[in-house]
Amino acid sequence: MNEIIKTQKLCKTFSNGGVQQHVLRNIDLSIYEGDFTVIMGASGAGKSTLLYALSGMDKPSLGEVTFAGKNITKGTPDDLAVFRRKNCGFVFQQTYLVDSMSVLDNVLAAALLIEKNKKKASAKAKEVLKSVDIDETLWNKFPTQISGGEAQRVGIARALINDPKLVFADEPTGALNSTTGKDVLDVLTKANENGQSIVMVTHDITSARRGNRILYVKDGEIAGECQLGKYVSGDKERHLKLRDFLGGMGW
Amino acid sequence: MTKERLLAGSHFRKNKGSSIGIFCLMLLASMLLSLAMILFTDTYPTAAKEADRLDGGDGMMYVSSKTLKIDDAYLSDLLEGTEEYELEKALYYPLINLPFGSSEMENTVKVCRMESMMAKTMARTEIAEEDSSISGDYIYLPYQFKTSGGYHVGDEYHFSISGENYDLKVKGFLNTVYGGCNNSGLYEICVSDEVYEKMLSRIDEAGESSFVVFKLKDDVKMGEFRIRVLNQLKTDDNLANVSLQPISMYISSRTFMSLIIAGSFLAVTILVVVVIILMIVNSIGNYVKENMKTIGALKAIGYTSRNIKGSVLMMFLALALIASVFGIAVSYLLAPTVSSVVIAQMGVPYSVSFSMIATITAFATVVLLTVLVTLLSLRRIKKIEPIVALREGVESHNFKTNPIKLDKSVFGLDASLSLKTMLHNKRQNIITFVVTGFMVFICVIALLMFENFNRNPKITLMMSETSDGAVVFDKDTWEEGYEFLSSQEGVSNIRRYHEDSIYVGQEDSLYLMVYEDPTRKNNTDVCYKGRLASHENEVNVSGKFAKQNGYKIGDEITLNLGGREYTYLISGFIQSLNNDGHEAIMSEEAASHILDLESMPTSFFFDTETDEQIDTILDACEAKFGEKMVTRINMLKSIEAGMITFKGIATLMLVMMCLISALVILLVLFLLIRSLVFSKRKDYGIYKAIGYTSRSLILQTAGSFMPTIILSVILFAVVSYFIANPYLQFIMINFGLMKCTFTIPIPGVIIIGVAMILLSFAIAVLQARRVRKIEPYQMLIAE
Repeated sequence: MNEIIKTQKLCKTFSNGGVQQHVLRNIDLSIYEGDFTVIMGASGAGKSTLLYALSGMDKPSLGEVTFAGKNITKGTPDDLAVFRRKNCGFVFQQTYLVDSMSVLDNVLAAALLIEKNKKKASAKAKEVLKSVDIDETLWNKFPTQISGGEAQRVGIARALINDPKLVFADEPTGALNSTTGKDVLDVLTKANENGQSIVMVTHDITSARRGNRILYVKDGEIAGECQLGKYVSGDKERHLKLRDFLGGMGW
Repeated sequence: MTKERLLAGSHFRKNKGSSIGIFCLMLLASMLLSLAMILFTDTYPTAAKEADRLDGGDGMMYVSSKTLKIDDAYLSDLLEGTEEYELEKALYYPLINLPFGSSEMENTVKVCRMESMMAKTMARTEIAEEDSSISGDYIYLPYQFKTSGGYHVGDEYHFSISGENYDLKVKGFLNTVYGGCNNSGLYEICVSDEVYEKMLSRIDEAGESSFVVFKLKDDVKMGEFRIRVLNQLKTDDNLANVSLQPISMYISSRTFMSLIIAGSFLAVTILVVVVIILMIVNSIGNYVKENMKTIGALKAIGYTSRNIKGSVLMMFLALALIASVFGIAVSYLLAPTVSSVVIAQMGVPYSVSFSMIATITAFATVVLLTVLVTLLSLRRIKKIEPIVALREGVESHNFKTNPIKLDKSVFGLDASLSLKTMLHNKRQNIITFVVTGFMVFICVIALLMFENFNRNPKITLMMSETSDGAVVFDKDTWEEGYEFLSSQEGVSNIRRYHEDSIYVGQEDSLYLMVYEDPTRKNNTDVCYKGRLASHENEVNVSGKFAKQNGYKIGDEITLNLGGREYTYLISGFIQSLNNDGHEAIMSEEAASHILDLESMPTSFFFDTETDEQIDTILDACEAKFGEKMVTRINMLKSIEAGMITFKGIATLMLVMMCLISALVILLVLFLLIRSLVFSKRKDYGIYKAIGYTSRSLILQTAGSFMPTIILSVILFAVVSYFIANPYLQFIMINFGLMKCTFTIPIPGVIIIGVAMILLSFAIAVLQARRVRKIEPYQMLIAE
């Protein structure tokens, strides 16, 4: 499998009033194309920090992150923004749609960064919205006028619109109930089945089951890894394997 | 109260940046208001107080006559109705040119001896500055020569009267009631006895003239007294050169430009105060929006709306109190600089003193307005439900529209997002629109003043007639003088005129200018309504006088002088800043009904091919006619000198208005963009996360204000272009200017507009750079 991301000795340290907190410690990691990688760990273990360091959203304190063969740790903030728009899609726990823009415009705001032809961008945005079950009646609504599940699916549409090499999802179901959470996971799973690489942070075992590769972060290090294979709905063995792995990690 | 105080402290700490911005605006408002009020309330009273301190009486009369013996015996009859008077003998020179700075100042001059000058008990002359060690041929000049002319004690001073040159040394400067300012029409100077004797020996048989300062009895009206005395003098000596003016006219003419500055300053200040009110309203609106969660939490735990409002009010009140105290203090620090321009124009030694009215007005205006707009803006806190507040004001049911759809927008992505931001921030953009518009208006007014009082003085609005030069011949010489003048090379367009005071009934007087044919005047603009008088029964009167007395065009008016009277038809209104806006124009034929023109000195205006020819022609006339040529005036030099003080004021106005505008726009954009970036920080984080660069977001943010600013600049530039003259007319109507037709240079307006747009964009971009500090990751983990 092709390696999309590779980290070497990745460290992240926060300082506060002279006190240093080492959140990531010398992480060597590879993320592969086509994988649905899930990062798990206890609260404060450093999973989100790792996700944002991998995506170029945050700069590591030490070490390197290579994305598709290119070192992204040395870029300026604007270089990284351009890198993100071309290579990454993001799904956040709080959806983070722009409240002053309609559903369609939220997706287009990302699409038009890459596709300058408005007609093409618009057609694609509508297609992607439909693919995440956001129908036409919602396109001109504002984020505050739709439900949390719908908003999260719009967020996924925005993440997928530019065919990114990798989609990063940070607790995408964290703010949703189980039904709408399942819908969102179905969308991500479907995207992965269509070849989209995904890295997802979660502390929810049901969500984690969707991944084919589970990484467990503990005290800023990758404490363990579990390969689950391709997701199949209702696969009890998969669930048991994941439970055993997490149990072994002290979860 | 403790609760509110604690909350107020917390509000301030949380909103330090915008609080400091508001503080600066409040400081600016109180400073400008105090400064404007100091000027406005102090200028006229200072001149009046000065006149009172020097026992200026109620008025001054001067008489220059070859036949009348002006002594106490004559005056006691003539000046019946006065409580007291004082006679001084001095030399009188009507309209001569005195060197003034790098130019010359044309004015009537009274030359005194030191002894008689210092012996006066009424309208005393005070030595403002002197070097007593200077002896020999010396001169004391009016104080305005120091403040505006740039002379110093010990300087050499050379001038020429009646062909005689005088090389003197400046021994000191005088502070006088009636002869200290070019606008009041008389300069009082003092020379050493030797110089005085030399000047006296060269004056014609009229010898010394009589200057009488008088104080009227309480029951005597100045208007009636004036007309009676002047008519009596005309009856006694038809050829006497006489003038009698109330002290109020001298003080008004001395202070009118200062009042215009103060008035303009006040108008600007009112605009700035309006801007500040808008900013406070906006700031409180933002405060409520940004602290919605806190307000909700406070309400949820039992704080009442009153407690919360009290704490916000306390913060703004504290800011207003401190800012106004500092602002007023700064105004007193700046007052000497601003007042130096006023002093230069007034010619009164004057230092700014504490003005209770100015201080209280500035303090009370800023503090009370702050309290008022804060209370009004805080009314919405009462309506906020805790649950809505805890959701940061997000309402699930709203009726938002999406006027700029990204897929249908004709603009690029960044421009479309800028427009979205603009429409989303309507209130901020309305404020920007109003503020920018006001500032454009202020700058256009300042530009108008600079253009018309400095760069290309609008002489046609300030003088009855324009010409390159003027000469006045005595009654026996004018025909010969006219022929000689006509024969001079380069002379053209010679116009004959006479001038005298005439009366309307027993109280009002008009300064009459008689032209051979008024319609041949260069400055026909002086008649702003109707037409210039051309027939033997027609007269033009000042619009100000007509307005005060209810005259209309076509009305009849009876004028009298020296026992003769005639009823004329008003054919048009004229405007003038001179003679308190009380002037009249008629033809020689019309004037012959009440004036004996043959027995009066005759003046000629003339134009020349080149400016250099003016002095050559005047020199030739002086050489030929000597004392029979009463007055010579190089109008160009005279105007240049007369404009010196106006130029300083106009330049000061332009610089100050542009600086104030820049400062206000800077502060307003600082506050608006700061609050915009703060309130949209989450959106900026999202944009950055999905790949927008800081550069793009900075341009979007700055760009979201630009359509409003550009629209405002264009709209207000056009509006200002058309309303600047009516606005100034409104201010200057009391000074006699009834229809302002000042030039507004369109390139200047365009430069102001472009500069304002560029400045605004630069400020907006600089301020929007705060976006760079927003890190998407920090924003995300902060949630």
